[in-house]
Amino acid sequence: MFKRILIANRGEIAVRVIRACREMGIQTVAVYSEIDRHALHVDLADHAICIGPAKARDSYLNIENIISATVLAGAEAIHPGFGFLAENSRFAEMCRECNIAFIGPDPEVIDMMGNKSKARQIMVQAEVPVIPGIDGLLEDFKHAQRAADIIGYPVMLKASAGGGGKGIRIVRSPDDLKKAYDTAKSEAKAAFNDDSMYMEKYLEEPRHIEFQILADSYGNVIHLGERDCSIQRRNQKVIEEAPSMLLTEELRQKMGDTAVRAAKTVGYQNAGTVEFLVDKAGNFYFMEMNTRIQVEHGVTELVTGIDLVQEQIKIAAGEKLSYTQEDIKLHGHAIECRINAENPSLNFRPSPGKVNVMLWPGGNGVRLDSAIYNGYEIPPTYDSMIAKLLTYGRNREEALNKMNRALEEFVIEGIDNNIDFLFQILSHEKFIKGQFNITFIDKEFSYR
Amino acid sequence: MPNKFNFFNKKPRYIELPINPQMQQQQQKSLPPNADTAVGENGAPPAIPDGLWIKCDFCGELLYKKDFAADLKVCKNCGHHYRMNAQERLEMIVDEDTFNEFNAGLISLNPLDFDGYDKKLLALREKTGMNEAVVTGYGKIDGYDAVIGVMDSNFIMGSMGSVVGEKVTRAFEYAAEKKLPIIIFTASGGARMQEGMFSLMQMAKTSAAAGFCAQAGQLYITVLTDPTTGGVTASFAMLGDILLSEPQALIGFAGKRVGEQTIGQKLPEGFQTAEFLLEHGFIDQIVARKDMKATLAQLLALHVKN
Repeated sequence: MFKRILIANRGEIAVRVIRACREMGIQTVAVYSEIDRHALHVDLADHAICIGPAKARDSYLNIENIISATVLAGAEAIHPGFGFLAENSRFAEMCRECNIAFIGPDPEVIDMMGNKSKARQIMVQAEVPVIPGIDGLLEDFKHAQRAADIIGYPVMLKASAGGGGKGIRIVRSPDDLKKAYDTAKSEAKAAFNDDSMYMEKYLEEPRHIEFQILADSYGNVIHLGERDCSIQRRNQKVIEEAPSMLLTEELRQKMGDTAVRAAKTVGYQNAGTVEFLVDKAGNFYFMEMNTRIQVEHGVTELVTGIDLVQEQIKIAAGEKLSYTQEDIKLHGHAIECRINAENPSLNFRPSPGKVNVMLWPGGNGVRLDSAIYNGYEIPPTYDSMIAKLLTYGRNREEALNKMNRALEEFVIEGIDNNIDFLFQILSHEKFIKGQFNITFIDKEFSYR
Repeated sequence: MPNKFNFFNKKPRYIELPINPQMQQQQQKSLPPNADTAVGENGAPPAIPDGLWIKCDFCGELLYKKDFAADLKVCKNCGHHYRMNAQERLEMIVDEDTFNEFNAGLISLNPLDFDGYDKKLLALREKTGMNEAVVTGYGKIDGYDAVIGVMDSNFIMGSMGSVVGEKVTRAFEYAAEKKLPIIIFTASGGARMQEGMFSLMQMAKTSAAAGFCAQAGQLYITVLTDPTTGGVTASFAMLGDILLSEPQALIGFAGKRVGEQTIGQKLPEGFQTAEFLLEHGFIDQIVARKDMKATLAQLLALHVKN
């Protein structure tokens, strides 16, 4: 086992990893930018190394400095957390060249899964269902007509250079195709100077359901059930829960087996997540695979009783998985709310600043993962997520009641936060009944 | 470093990474004493291997060697175009498996019995894996046929002796005969002094060959790369129908010092750079390396009949 690990991240996830290391008797080395001098992860770690100025590019994304710090501090492994360098294959490759264990999959696998079209091809070969679409690009309008007939309406036209919602059209009938095709093309031409188009099936109101994977270096792969992350605002997850209300035991098994097969196909190692979209009829489609620990990993930990970060470290150190698929049983229900320093009524504008008073909830079934404390100054430089509040109950109702109670207790003063917004979601009838999909916030709330 | 929030009794020791290298030695001592117990993935302690990063000579940015190669030897920070050898350039420009080299076996003799020239040639042939300072041949660029010549500054500074002159001349003649466009990437310190007059006459010979090719109606594009100077500038390098250059390339005849001594004046800033030449109308366009193949393909497309 490693004696010392460097955590190449900040905030709540750095604290999370440090906690896992301390429980395992592993020394920790924190890295921090100049503005993070008084951040909690710096204080909790056994050692701390400043790696550059506040801008992420100069510090938390500064590969040279992070690797130098690792070598200087005598750490044998790097935990990348999520975000920053967590899915940077170059970084993983350099770690390997420097004889440092990267706590995550091989750089080749990160590359494979990071390239969407390549990942799609691999999944098709592994007989993992993907969203039906054309191979390659649309040649002309006639091709688009033929493709739409084969795929079946509604279809989505997408600019291949796309981004920010530009050059995307949803087409519901053959009559609308011509206009949508022309306008999407000219929009793409204007925005990206590239009007090549792609077409795939448009899923009506799907749920976002993802499966947690653990894979060791001996070819053992298991899944730890699913998380329902359909409550999203502009593709940012807001509330996650496990298990999903939507899945029957049969569908869970089928999707879990598929996720395991996907991971095995690419030779996956360490913790990862296979994301699916699930339509109303229970058809599921591979979306992407995240090659890192996820923000919402805590809900899976609560329902399985397995510490995912500790498992990550053990796998990276070459240990065999100590669980088989049969050992994994889901108990009860867990919910996570992401607490952000932002103002929902001002279009969710980030609200950095000093936390004057903070009183955090506790009690039976409540877990708080955070890196803020009384008097902490939240820097404007990084992500606005400041805490993850999780509750656990024997069933969904119990977990929800605890979440409502815990949010009520939560006091953060000095900065704006989204707790009221979370209350609104939690008390929404459709949320309580579990009748939601990824369009929920867009459709049901005035500010989005 | 003062610590305002004292959460734990056993306080961590703080390490500040040295900003300047002088501090490094001193810092090493105050580091946590774990280095000797640390063991990496395969038993050895973590260490940064030599040459993992290259430091840009111009902006100081550290470049990962694999990224640097993937970026075609261009600094991702300041955009400086580092010199490429002929092989790298052919890989960058010519479609895979389409290049057929001409006259690969031609090697220089030592017509003047110049002291040490034979030895030098032998050593360079071994070191660079090339027989001379230019590679010529036929290949495809995005599907368009072309005769291609690439000079390599690693071989006696790309200097033009009898073999370089002969290979370039034959390439022109081939282009004229087969009705093909010709593209030459120049990189040279000038005529090869070890071959004296034999070198100087290559200037006239290659210029005449370029003229012959032009009379045959063939397109000739030169791509001036760092450095293109002396007798090569004064002959075929500047005779292209279209003159392209890489950014910041040094292009000139005599060096700056010689120029200043001759005319007794200070030379303007940026004199003999590609940018200066473009501004003064000597070349047609500066093309970044990443766009070079596409630009050449476009020019070829415009000049292909039908």
